Amino acid sequence: MLQFFVDVILRTVDLALIAVALSCVYSLIRFPNIALVQYATAGALIALGLQTLGLPLYLAIVLSCVITGLMAVVLSVLIFEKLLDTSPPLAMVGSLAVSMIFTAVFLVTVGPRPKRFDLEIMAPVRWAGVSITPMQLVSVGLTMGAILLFALLLFRTGLGRSMRATSTNRVLAEATGIPTRKVINGVIVLSGILAALGGISISLKGEMGAQLGFDLLLPIFAAAILGGLGNALGAALGAFTIALAETFVTNVNFGWVVSQDFYFLPASFATIVSFGLLVLILLFRPHGLLVSEVKRV
Amino acid sequence: MIKIENIIAGYGDGPNILHGINLQASKGEIVTILGPNGCGKSTLLKCIAGFVKPRGGAVVLNDTDVTPVPANEKVRKHRMGYVPQSDNIFPSLTVAENILMGARFLPQATRAVALKRQFVAYPSLADKATRKASALSGGERQLLSLARALVAEPSVLLLDEPSAGLSPAMVHEVFVAIEEIRNSTGMCIVMVEQNAFEALSVADRAYILALGQVALEGCAADLIADPAMRHLYLGGDPEATTSSA
Ligand SMILES: Nc1ncnc2c1ncn2[C@@H]1O[C@H](COP(=O)(O)OP(=O)(O)OP(=O)(O)O)[C@@H](O)[C@H]1O
Ligand SMILES: [Mg+2]
Repeated sequence: MLQFFVDVILRTVDLALIAVALSCVYSLIRFPNIALVQYATAGALIALGLQTLGLPLYLAIVLSCVITGLMAVVLSVLIFEKLLDTSPPLAMVGSLAVSMIFTAVFLVTVGPRPKRFDLEIMAPVRWAGVSITPMQLVSVGLTMGAILLFALLLFRTGLGRSMRATSTNRVLAEATGIPTRKVINGVIVLSGILAALGGISISLKGEMGAQLGFDLLLPIFAAAILGGLGNALGAALGAFTIALAETFVTNVNFGWVVSQDFYFLPASFATIVSFGLLVLILLFRPHGLLVSEVKRV
Repeated sequence: MIKIENIIAGYGDGPNILHGINLQASKGEIVTILGPNGCGKSTLLKCIAGFVKPRGGAVVLNDTDVTPVPANEKVRKHRMGYVPQSDNIFPSLTVAENILMGARFLPQATRAVALKRQFVAYPSLADKATRKASALSGGERQLLSLARALVAEPSVLLLDEPSAGLSPAMVHEVFVAIEEIRNSTGMCIVMVEQNAFEALSVADRAYILALGQVALEGCAADLIADPAMRHLYLGGDPEATTSSA
């Protein structure tokens, strides 16, 4: 039972930061940027590259986040902003195209073989029947810390209030003297940082490959929609819900269905759960679990 | 104080909506912009405020060309206040928080005083200071949006239909408030209006737009007495309508 909970948390960590980033950008410019999942892969690969160059891991992570954040804003200014001006659906297709280019670039530069950070091998911690590796703990800590900091930024700082005002009503925010263009670009940098951290935190507890982010596209969208697209912290809750459903389905003994003692669905079934959940969510809760006041400052 | 020179504007790659508008308003003056729906009144106000970039012409504020200055900077550095036609409050914030939003760029120490001043001016808002703005009536919302813009003591105030959707009594109240602001602060006020007669009775001068051009301009008192203008642009004068029919 406890192991089940641990598995849910570990899966939540895979999804949460990228889903928060997606939702946060959406709240400001109504743009579901598919390329965000690739910023996660890029963040992980850049950190790996920097580590290979001899930088200590924590420094490689910080630098990679900064680089990915800047890359996010550059792509936004050069490409997505212009597409958004023309038409929002076009911008979404554009971000899909950009994502494909990213995949190609990843394949060319790092190849199809999965990579790992250079980490000391440490024995898993065992406690009350639960087994968890130190890096998994680091990954969970990193994610929770980042979400906590993000929440503090959003609800306890002037910048956070500017972000919320801009997302509620951009014209009115400008009229109260908020430089909304700067706020939006700041949030896009932040989304790049969060996505990079998301990718890094996944890679810390396992491998990273060219498909790392793209494989997560559907569960992340499902999480963000479930949280109420545009409700950044809701996305974290959405990630938990999706993780719960996925983990549940792949952990239940379906032996009784096939008249065997044990029958577990293969892990790849988790994807099907995400697909299925996404369809159900779109049908029944298109505005998310927490439908209440959509507009808030 | 404020001078609009030959403004040409439109949206996206669409056609021109404004075809060379000239307008002037000086300190302590109330200028009203009238005209039929869709003639470009709000667009003109958005050009002045900096939300729409004009395709030609200039917006001059105190002898400085501020045409390319973004709206937020006009608010902070050029002391311009703007109240949009709709969605002009933050519904999830309380009344007091809404007013304070307008005071964000004032020094921290002066904000409380500024808020209090608005509450003295609008006691009906003071009574509801801690209520969510979404729970206000239409008239209270208009007053709130006005108070939000006024809290930073702008020198130019742009109002887009401040009396829209209000009962006759509330319309009167809003115009009294606007006149009172002008009298006490010497602010320059440019307001777009549909309640033409009431607007003309508080305004000093008026511009009447039609199809993106200034069709008539002049002293408000003269315009209100001009039967041709009443018939053509205000549509509210039964005598003029019947005599030409
Ligand atoms: N954001 C926009 N994008 C494209 N066209 C717009 C936009 N806003 C207004 N227009 C068009 O510009 C023209 C003028 O609109 P504007 O809002 O300035 O009119 P108005 O005089 O304020 O009308 P009303 O009295 O109804 O408020 C209209 O034809 C309108 O369709
Ligand atoms: Mg209008």
